Amino acid sequence: MRAAAITAAGWLLLASAAAPTMAAQSPDAVAAERAAYAAWIGNAATSPAAAVAQQPIGDGLVLGAGAAVPLTGIDARVKPVGGRMVLETRDGSRALARYRPVSLGRYTIVPGGTARKPMLTVFDSTRPRKAPHFYAHDPALVLSGTLTPPERPAMERLLAPDGIEVEATEAGSVLVPLGGTTTRLKVMRIPDPSTGESDLEIYFRDSTNASETYPAGRFVALVPLGNGRYRLDFNRARNPFCAYSSAYACPIPWRGNAIPAPVRAGERYEHQ
Amino acid sequence: MTALAVLLLGLGVTAASPPDPSGHWRAALDLAGGPLRFALELEPTADGWAATLCNGTACSDAGPARLEGDSLIVQLVDFDARIAARIRGDSLSGMYSNVGNRGPRVIPFRASRGTWPVSALSAGLAGQWDATLVTDGRTSPRIFIFEQGPAGPRGAVVSNTGDYGEFGGIASGDSVVLSHFDGSFVYMITAALSGDTLRGTFHAGLRTQTPFTAVRSSGTAHLREPTAMTAADTTERFRFAFPDLAGNLVTSDDPRFAGKVVLVDVFGTWCSTCHYAAPILAGFQREYGPRGLAIVGLAYEVTGDTAIDGALVRRYRDKFQLPFPLLLAGVGIAELAAETLPQLRGFTAFPTTIFLGRDGRVRRVHAGFYGPATGAMHQRQVAEFRSLIEELLAEVAPPEASPPQ
Repeated sequence: MRAAAITAAGWLLLASAAAPTMAAQSPDAVAAERAAYAAWIGNAATSPAAAVAQQPIGDGLVLGAGAAVPLTGIDARVKPVGGRMVLETRDGSRALARYRPVSLGRYTIVPGGTARKPMLTVFDSTRPRKAPHFYAHDPALVLSGTLTPPERPAMERLLAPDGIEVEATEAGSVLVPLGGTTTRLKVMRIPDPSTGESDLEIYFRDSTNASETYPAGRFVALVPLGNGRYRLDFNRARNPFCAYSSAYACPIPWRGNAIPAPVRAGERYEHQ
Repeated sequence: MTALAVLLLGLGVTAASPPDPSGHWRAALDLAGGPLRFALELEPTADGWAATLCNGTACSDAGPARLEGDSLIVQLVDFDARIAARIRGDSLSGMYSNVGNRGPRVIPFRASRGTWPVSALSAGLAGQWDATLVTDGRTSPRIFIFEQGPAGPRGAVVSNTGDYGEFGGIASGDSVVLSHFDGSFVYMITAALSGDTLRGTFHAGLRTQTPFTAVRSSGTAHLREPTAMTAADTTERFRFAFPDLAGNLVTSDDPRFAGKVVLVDVFGTWCSTCHYAAPILAGFQREYGPRGLAIVGLAYEVTGDTAIDGALVRRYRDKFQLPFPLLLAGVGIAELAAETLPQLRGFTAFPTTIFLGRDGRVRRVHAGFYGPATGAMHQRQVAEFRSLIEELLAEVAPPEASPPQ
């Protein structure tokens, strides 16, 4: 049974942790997602916390001491050859596959982006890593409601959480009743070129950005509940990858997506 | 007291010996839109267990499984993915995770011992449906095929370029849930009949949901005709020149193709639809080879690096025992592959099958492939391939078709 308070905007504040009927929506599932994310940030060779460079490959990129991508003890070049990406080192050359990591000394490189605009991301296994921090789970910040479709769905080139430019579609907006007012938040469908799936993402700011959370804002994905309804669980809010490394381009905040209240849920950020 | 003592003793015995996960499990991934049901089978091996995933009667090797404390870990080979679940008596509870470019994608997993009950598909749901998926106001066609199989309802989902493999599931009254989970791809259809219209949702991954409506296939084409998607220059001989697995350049002028009916299979080892086509092509080569059919496979692989791609293609050749040459043609991105085959226009699909007459000119380009899960569509397509091969074999080779001396 759902304990819910109907707001003026039609969105429900799910006031109790007993609300979820499926494991995919439970605090346990959020905890497991956080644990997997923390393990990935802490251990993976391609963790955003290990990134030291992300650049367009263009006509070619030199990797090495004093080069465009300054890497210690490396003398290599990544360049396009007839539509392929080739890595040249003193040992010879080898082709690179999109999204397949390749080791290069203490570094790992991953070609990605789109076929039109390939990008190279470089990770350094010795880079000190910051672990993700989260607010305690707050069942009051799990909302559900409907998506208002846009008058005319617009395509927009924007940066995904990983700093890669993608062609996103405007999916609509949601009205969020927080801080004694309602804020209309734009929802974009953001494709993931590496999986072919897409997510309905909201990139939002709130009054915690100045001191407790990432200044540029956070991403949170809508979870479809069926019958045109969606769950907006701020406990799943995540920082863009630029919060872990300045190697990533940071998505600029989406106009209007600012909640004039603190959203103390999801991922935090330690301000310097 | 006695009952309690027996219960405690029972618990004590369970705790003392490591759990044995061998056997059949009815498993589910809890997607945002409901549970995706599949079967997990664990068979003991020398150093753990071998895991198999089944959707209906279609099963595939998933990879090795092992125990870590009271948890079962199934490492899904071929993907950076695994299932980790705590064993409590006869139930498993944990997570499926698949590490993508933007981090791990995590879906709750649970299972209990036994097999999913076999349910019956109602006559109102069985058959072929023309479905229209709608995403943000844009539509995309699919064909759904539902039928009763030995393990319950089963089905296939066909797009313009091929099918997604076999789906299995359960039905109740006028509703059906069918799913396909192979360790990496997570697909589910939930559908219910309302009047003559089937309405439902196509689920991909944890939370991508696309609504659809479907009507019974009327016989008029709903998908694009596979032969109408890619055009070819038919004024000249079809040309290609790529290295084989031994590094020797093989061209369309090679004597082994001279005056023969040639079937060019444009494929990639990463393309699951290509895996459904491979055994059929192998059969054609064995059957029609003596009468003048020569098949050649053009592999578009993950790196373009001969050493890496060559190993993948060799494994593919051996797996399907392909009795025809496979050439390393390039990388598997449609727009880049198209550049290597400039005589084609509108190349979009892996696989694409190009039929050449004995004069070396293109007679038909067939985009995509309907796998065995599509039933009658698969059989009709194989019959079409067969009759075209027969027709082309019956033609006489023109003298100019001989290779330059």
